[in-house]
Amino acid sequence: MKTKGQNNHLGVKALNSVLPVILAFVIGGVIIAAIGENPLTAYQVMIQRSLFSVRGLTRTLQLAAPLLLSGMAIAICFKANIFNMGIEGQLIFGGFMAGIVGNCLVDMNPAAHKLICFAVGILCGMAFALIPALLRAYFHVDEMVVTLVLNYAMARVLEYLASVVFRDAGAGYVATPPVQDSAKFFLIGTTRLTPFLFISVIIFAVMAFVMTKTKLGYTITALGKNPSFAEATGLRSRRTIIVLMLISGALAGVAGTGQMLAEKTFYTLDFSGSPGLGWDGMLIALLGRHTPGGIVVAALFYSALKTGSEAIGLYANVPNEIVAVIQSLMILFLAIQFFDERYGLTERLKEKLAAQKAGSEEGRA
Amino acid sequence: MSAIDNIIYQSVVYLAPVLLCVLGGIFAYKANVLNIALEGMMMAGAFVSMLAANLTNSLPAAYLSAFAVCMALGLVFSVLGVTLKGNVIVIGLAINMLVPAVAGFIMKIMSVPSITWSEFSTSSIVLNIPVIQNIPLLGPILSGHPPITYVAYLMIAVMSVLMYQTRFGIHVRVVGESEDTAVSLGLKTNMYKIAAILIGAGCCALAGINLSLERLSLYTNNMTAGRGFIAIAAIYCGRGKPLSCTLYAVLFSLANALAEYFSLQVSASLLLKVVPYVVMVAVLTAASIINRRKVRVRGAFSEH
Repeated sequence: MKTKGQNNHLGVKALNSVLPVILAFVIGGVIIAAIGENPLTAYQVMIQRSLFSVRGLTRTLQLAAPLLLSGMAIAICFKANIFNMGIEGQLIFGGFMAGIVGNCLVDMNPAAHKLICFAVGILCGMAFALIPALLRAYFHVDEMVVTLVLNYAMARVLEYLASVVFRDAGAGYVATPPVQDSAKFFLIGTTRLTPFLFISVIIFAVMAFVMTKTKLGYTITALGKNPSFAEATGLRSRRTIIVLMLISGALAGVAGTGQMLAEKTFYTLDFSGSPGLGWDGMLIALLGRHTPGGIVVAALFYSALKTGSEAIGLYANVPNEIVAVIQSLMILFLAIQFFDERYGLTERLKEKLAAQKAGSEEGRA
Repeated sequence: MSAIDNIIYQSVVYLAPVLLCVLGGIFAYKANVLNIALEGMMMAGAFVSMLAANLTNSLPAAYLSAFAVCMALGLVFSVLGVTLKGNVIVIGLAINMLVPAVAGFIMKIMSVPSITWSEFSTSSIVLNIPVIQNIPLLGPILSGHPPITYVAYLMIAVMSVLMYQTRFGIHVRVVGESEDTAVSLGLKTNMYKIAAILIGAGCCALAGINLSLERLSLYTNNMTAGRGFIAIAAIYCGRGKPLSCTLYAVLFSLANALAEYFSLQVSASLLLKVVPYVVMVAVLTAASIINRRKVRVRGAFSEH
């Protein structure tokens, strides 16, 4: 009986994640139909180009690399009820500085050069996360507002640095000079994978272990479930907030560095894409319900969407903004629980029937 | 116009939409349903007003359709967040992402990079008040602005009265402070929350129209540039009180106008654009320290 109940429980959780996705695609389909294109063809192009060719599939895997990290960075904070919205700012800062180091150091051993770049990226991500963390822990400043504001501040600072201080004089637009070959990640064979994917997977696995098997992971769960109780039992919440924000900043820094060394090789104003890898990470964390397994599935699904969006504009005559519309609809529907996760479906139905019965009897009496 | 007058005028230009968002957002803040979709709703107001103006060539149609779309967004927010008890922060973020996505999609179909309305000049709706417009300092505050800017001034008084002098305002605050008490008093708490969100949505529509149609007669994607979040920062600093929130909004606008002004004077001055954001973080911190000075609490998570 108990196992059956737990199966139901899992079923409800899965349903709560899948239903928003389906709903978003249905609405997206209606929009595509409204502009006079066939939604099925458009979706077919997306799926085919992102999953059913070696190039597409490896591209999808490669695009998932930074998303795994930014998704984990968000999940680790959100799960503990810390609304760190600053991943985007930390990510672009880490990526930018890694790019500068990647450009300035010459004649380096490739491995050492990359290592230095990652170290710089991680430190910058952590440093920028430390500001809201300290303000939150010691002065009770709402971390959500501060991180949102700091994202804008960082975008402006980097715009300044890229267009004045580190400007690539040869480029016709605002850009930093590209990183040296010794810092670049190259494609493996004929695929579109780079070694960064494996680095990202290893770091993700370590974080997954931390989240599920260690004391820190337990602390995160406790803070997320009932912060007052966790504090009453002696949890040092200040220290925990700072530690979690720093980890999250470090992950963002790695994601940004990877984006720089494996993907972009120089900083432009759309370095992180639109709406940005940090925001993508938020969708992934939500879609994956803050669990490591969920994040992997969500990141792969999301990067398939990205590869598909590159194809949909080219091959299906539908503006690729449609993918952004579908993504934001997904987040919108993910915010609500269609079904209560504390009960299985059958229990809910029974309860509802019982309540109805009781209600009607009360009415009669 | 002298330099100081110019700075004041630019502050007011920046202030009006932020102020409207602030005054609309305080009700949701007080009702304990934080509405971070202010940014997206304002963008929707800006986009739809320009789109309607471009398509119908009619000013009233532009105002009305922007208002209607923002109200619809407010209803979506209410149904998902209040009726279905979804996570309001996530819903807010989703709306903030949805609006530029839809706007980008529509502009791509129309194959234009921005939406303009060539048959309309923004100076035709500007109200120049005789005599006052020549008074230094006061002139640029009170004269030479489009209608909604004056509505924004008016709203300071309207919202203060609504919040503190009416039954509705008291009930909204009760709902936010203690929902159980409100329920035990027989208040329909969901109705008050929804009303608070819709007030915010309506104000955001006005803010958006002011930003795009009235000032520039132009919509480019993401032109709100974080004004909605600045409004939220002001609401947090002023703890939802209409007058003090207004003061913070004025402070942020002034910082912004000063930064803009000096960035025109100094060469290589992009960095000055960071100043308003730094000011905001500093003010948020200071406000938080002052507000909590007398409160001794255990740990970092307890609310009061």
